[in-house]
Amino acid sequence: MKKVININFQGRVVPIEENAYDILQKYVDSLKKYFANEEGKDEIINDIESRIAELFAETLKKGSTCISDDDVNNIINSMGRPEDFDGEEEKVKTQLGTEEKTNNTNQQQAAFTSNVNRRLYRDENNKVLGGVCSGIANYFGIEPLIVRIIAVVIFGIFFIPYLILWVAVPSSATQVIGSVRKRLFRDTDDKIIAGVASGLGHYFGVNPWIPRILFLIPFLSFVTRWSSWGMFDFPHFVSLSFSPGATILYIILWLILPEAITSADKLEMRGERVDLNSIKQTIQTDMEGFKNRAEKFGEELKHKAEAFSKDFTPKAQQFGNETAYVAKKASRGFGDVIALIAKIFAYFILAVVLFSIVAALFAVGVTFIGLSPAAEYIINDGWQSVFAWGSLLLFIWVPIIGIITWIIRRIIKAKNNNIMRYSFVAIWLVGLFCTLGLAVSLRNDFRYKSAPNEQQFALNNPTVNKLEVHLSGGKYFTDKKTFKIEPFHFLEDDTVYVPNTRIRIVRSANDSFQVSVLKVSNGFSKQQANNLAEKIEYGISQKDTILSLYKGIPINKDDKFRNQRIIITITVPLGKKIKIDEKIGWHNDVHIGFNDDNWRWRGDYSEDGEYYWESDKEYIMTEKGLERTNKSAFEDEDNNSDNLEKYKRSREELEREIEEQQREIEEKKRELQRSLEDKQRELELKKNELNKEIDTVTRYKYQKAVADSKQKDKKNKCSSNDLTELSSRVYMLQVAG
Amino acid sequence: MDIQNTQSQMRKGVLEFCILSVIRQGEVYPSDIVDKMKAANLHILEGTLYPLLTRLKNAEYLTYRWVESNSGPPRKYFVMTDKGLAFYSELEKTWKELADAVQALTQPIENHQNQL
Repeated sequence: MKKVININFQGRVVPIEENAYDILQKYVDSLKKYFANEEGKDEIINDIESRIAELFAETLKKGSTCISDDDVNNIINSMGRPEDFDGEEEKVKTQLGTEEKTNNTNQQQAAFTSNVNRRLYRDENNKVLGGVCSGIANYFGIEPLIVRIIAVVIFGIFFIPYLILWVAVPSSATQVIGSVRKRLFRDTDDKIIAGVASGLGHYFGVNPWIPRILFLIPFLSFVTRWSSWGMFDFPHFVSLSFSPGATILYIILWLILPEAITSADKLEMRGERVDLNSIKQTIQTDMEGFKNRAEKFGEELKHKAEAFSKDFTPKAQQFGNETAYVAKKASRGFGDVIALIAKIFAYFILAVVLFSIVAALFAVGVTFIGLSPAAEYIINDGWQSVFAWGSLLLFIWVPIIGIITWIIRRIIKAKNNNIMRYSFVAIWLVGLFCTLGLAVSLRNDFRYKSAPNEQQFALNNPTVNKLEVHLSGGKYFTDKKTFKIEPFHFLEDDTVYVPNTRIRIVRSANDSFQVSVLKVSNGFSKQQANNLAEKIEYGISQKDTILSLYKGIPINKDDKFRNQRIIITITVPLGKKIKIDEKIGWHNDVHIGFNDDNWRWRGDYSEDGEYYWESDKEYIMTEKGLERTNKSAFEDEDNNSDNLEKYKRSREELEREIEEQQREIEEKKRELQRSLEDKQRELELKKNELNKEIDTVTRYKYQKAVADSKQKDKKNKCSSNDLTELSSRVYMLQVAG
Repeated sequence: MDIQNTQSQMRKGVLEFCILSVIRQGEVYPSDIVDKMKAANLHILEGTLYPLLTRLKNAEYLTYRWVESNSGPPRKYFVMTDKGLAFYSELEKTWKELADAVQALTQPIENHQNQL
């Protein structure tokens, strides 16, 4: 049963179903919007309306009593909707193939499934709550059930996107008649990444920066963490500071929202204001019958679950075609979803990888620049320095610029520029060549090792009881202005001091300290290496118990750094002490060795002692090896017994303390009890007093009351006396009168 | 490069020319234009046709007259003006050149064989 109304359309009375009238009305409205900026729009619309009127007249002539939904839809399909006008030719092509099946439902399905005109709609015909899930399912051509299950499983994350999509995505009902309602698009004319935020801005009628900032807020914490960020501290970056919610929402919207391309899209994007009322309306209409639909969905779910279980239990081999079909479709759907998730994940990983590459290259590049004052002490003039600069500029900085450019171009969607890409690659290859060249030539320069060249350093006073090793020479090169690059700590005008020294401590055979310096160097030939080793001038001096080592090996620009190094061997007699200053320990390797004559160092542990070397601590040479003079806890077995005693002592102390405390507590308890009793006694006293007081009060009151009554009696008597007096007076007056 | 987009561009270019050539043959009603074009296997939506006609009319290439209709409101019949005719012949010239050029370019082998 449908209501039919008469309308005046183009000067004629047309009987039309109310529903059909609504459709027609909305269609004409959409046309008006589409042609809003067109010159002579009234005429165009008038022409179209009169054509529609003519078609109506033809329909009525054929014998219809009124114009129905189908009639209007057919006419609209033949006239075309605004969104069809721009992409009209494509449609013509598809229609050629399918011989004009302009049935309404076909159209709708085509909109859902065809690749050309695919858009996200909420599916009115197959909805549980708002039809969002089935709409998404339609969009991706997968089973709605899968989307629903996923939506329920990730309810927490999907909740807010669901609400947004519910409100923002047009329902398929409005789609049929060329929707008048505002629609959510990505506004690619005003975009930063994909136009999602500006589209949202249009939709809610706010400045696009508001959604943008809302999206950015979760990232702010990430930015503020930047300072505390190690260069390769990725777990932080990925897990904590990265807000998955905002990113996922953005990516979902990016994938799902259509871009506003045609002018009709743009009009719809800016269309009717969306206010609370219209949102309420959408939700209210959808909530009607939600219960029924939910039950239906539950039922459906049950059926499908049964079908699934049947499918997966080997017993039930005879499942029907239906279930097989569903399962097949479902698996395909799962595949799609997994592919989609994988795609998102891949993009995310790609972003992280790109970011890390850029960050790492950036670090290396900056480091190189920081190193550049020291470079002339390593690199030969000529080819080697050309290679060095080539490596720095082309091998390290070019990819940074390239990747950043690529990202920016991706973001602004610039067209791929092959010339640019290839030139970047070519330049980078030149850089790679330079780096290889530099590596090879440097390797050659460091190729040969000099023969050991050991010299004894004559101590002024070798029989002191204790030797303290100090560092002499001044200032550090490493202030905050430049990066701290080992081993170039000290840099002066034309000399760099490399603290490339090692200290070896061994036991002396006699009773005097001995110091020997072994100079080693690398070079492009044995000859040069020996030369360089000989040239090393290392300052050692002794004053009383203090042995001063110079801050580093001086290296000048002519000779270059070819891994010149020295090994200082200090022999310590039995029972004598040695202490190495912290500064030396900090900048040099200190090794304690005994029977190791191969110049091979085994970490910071001595061969037999297994204790860690600490600088700035006094050691004494014993039969067993070096030992700390001031032993702290947990050092060795001797200490353990001490520790035990200490423990015992401390335990006893603790016990005593506990006892004391218990005693205190008890005392306090007693005190409290005493005070309690006191209070109780006091209370009782007060009670008694009060009672007494009450007694006196009552007595007083009674007495007073008695007195009062007596007084009253008196008064009464007085008044009676007065009366008699008065009456006698009256009498007297009467008598007188 | 999207094939459909290219195809659509190609069609769009000749659409105006085709419509004008239908109108040139005599006074015509818009839905007749659609029918004629459909018969020639070139489909156009009426919703696209009307704005195009209005534009051509506003450019004074076309003019129209009202004809009473027994089925519905009065109809607009379009006819070509002298100015429109000049415009059309220009388009026709371009089309012929274009068609020849396309022919020459797309059939080089056949031509070669013909010459032999």
